[in-house]
Amino acid sequence: MPRDFIPGHLEPETPANTVSYFVREAIRRIWITKRTSFVSVAMIAISLFILGGFMLLSENLEAAVTRWQGRSRVNVFLDTDATPDQIRAVDAYLGSHPDLRARRFITREQAMARFKSYFANLSGVVDQLDENPFPPSFQIEVTPAIAQSRAFKEEMKSLRAMTAIEQVQFDWEWLTRLRRIIDVVNAVGLTAGGILALAAAFTIANVIRLTMLTYREEIEIMRLVGATERIIRGPFLIEGILQGTLGGILAVGLLFGAFELARHVLAPSSTMLWGFLFVSFLPLQKIAAIVVGGTVAGWFGSWLSVRERAAEDA
Amino acid sequence: MIHFYHVTKKFDRYSTALHDVTFHIEKGEFIFLTGPSGAGKSTLLKLILRQMRPSEGQIVVNGRNLNAMRRSQLPYFRREIGMVFQDFKLIERMTVFENLSFILTVLNVPPKEHKRRAYQTLRAVNLHHKLNSYPLQLSGGEQQRVAIARALINDPLVLIADEPTGNLDPELAQEIVQIFAEANLRGSTVLLATHDRDLVQGTGRRSIVLEHGQLTEERPATPARPPREGAVFGMR
Repeated sequence: MPRDFIPGHLEPETPANTVSYFVREAIRRIWITKRTSFVSVAMIAISLFILGGFMLLSENLEAAVTRWQGRSRVNVFLDTDATPDQIRAVDAYLGSHPDLRARRFITREQAMARFKSYFANLSGVVDQLDENPFPPSFQIEVTPAIAQSRAFKEEMKSLRAMTAIEQVQFDWEWLTRLRRIIDVVNAVGLTAGGILALAAAFTIANVIRLTMLTYREEIEIMRLVGATERIIRGPFLIEGILQGTLGGILAVGLLFGAFELARHVLAPSSTMLWGFLFVSFLPLQKIAAIVVGGTVAGWFGSWLSVRERAAEDA
Repeated sequence: MIHFYHVTKKFDRYSTALHDVTFHIEKGEFIFLTGPSGAGKSTLLKLILRQMRPSEGQIVVNGRNLNAMRRSQLPYFRREIGMVFQDFKLIERMTVFENLSFILTVLNVPPKEHKRRAYQTLRAVNLHHKLNSYPLQLSGGEQQRVAIARALINDPLVLIADEPTGNLDPELAQEIVQIFAEANLRGSTVLLATHDRDLVQGTGRRSIVLEHGQLTEERPATPARPPREGAVFGMR
């Protein structure tokens, strides 16, 4: 029997009922407009792939910095033509200071061999040189605490003043430079990825706007039979969210593929240079962040178009 | 149940669809709205569903003044009304079942009940064997009946139909009227718009006549047809 109207009585839609309808409808619409949906998903995937690439680079650089930070090292480069007596004098000086005692002498030949092993593809260039360009050096291991002390800085000053010493170089100096590079990589990655993700969100907004225009007549029918705006617009929002999430998952897949490919193709050819850039893939939290980023971009895009249409229809 | 007070609908300065129309339909009535094509019947029905607002006058449906109704209340108001549109307004990409199931989703009926209720309603219009057909696979008469089933599926308080027998042969037209009569027996107030005067005359039900946007005649239900118990027939 028909129900009597109860003034002010509004029937709320239960989420379990309508959400399953939203998802079914969204999947169906994505399937119907699969070509345009693919464009949205691809746009999101490319944006997040680029963002993820920067994240991967920064992640591995950070890991390398952390690895190297534990062992502070001082390299004391001698003149290329330093005599054995001069080398012995430097060695004696280092031996007399407790902070500098953990030292290792690297001959010119050893330095060259090390370079060749680190930069295998440049070894041919070095072989063509008339003489060995690498100076002999002392490699001194110090703890980070000592390296930061005032006394150590004083010792370094007097070391630099010794004859036959060309240069005194600290690991932490270039680690600081590397940190700056990481900051730049992060900033560039975030900016480029953010701009691209925004562009992808607008692509999704346009695709959903087109879908809404296609369904205009249907939306009108829905309104006439008593569908609320929530029921009408819900599938479009879910459509954007699904497209964004798919884009995020695709980006992670592509990134992992590219990472594995780079590790197998690039890394063995030159051990040092690429080796430390392709050590580990992104941690689970960052993978989740990429996928969630896609979801948010998709939601934002669909929300934009749905909100715009709502304003037009009002 | 439906009350029009001096309702005028103008589209522009030179085009008046309805002029100073006043009538009342009580709860449980079955009433015909007749008149030639272009008389303003469809406009009147659109005003009842609040597809458009009157230029002047007041409309009260089921105790609600449509002029004062907020946009957010509109969906809930429309759920109380079963409307059969002249052009059916079926969603072409959905099957017959899905067209009906969508209404049930809107009405918050659990999905497991959709099939049973859709089947029952389609059985009432003798189309239960077309559950999985798409509207474009059906004849005009069959699409008409799907549109009626969609309007009936919620046992609406008010059932409105715009030319539901248009383009149907007389036998099928009578069948359709019978479906509305059964809905009326179940308690729905029925307003059926038609230009077919022959269809109205045989039934003995109350009718109102529109011509050039004006209410020209009201014919009460004939005494030959006794009013059923509990329902209010006749003029107010």
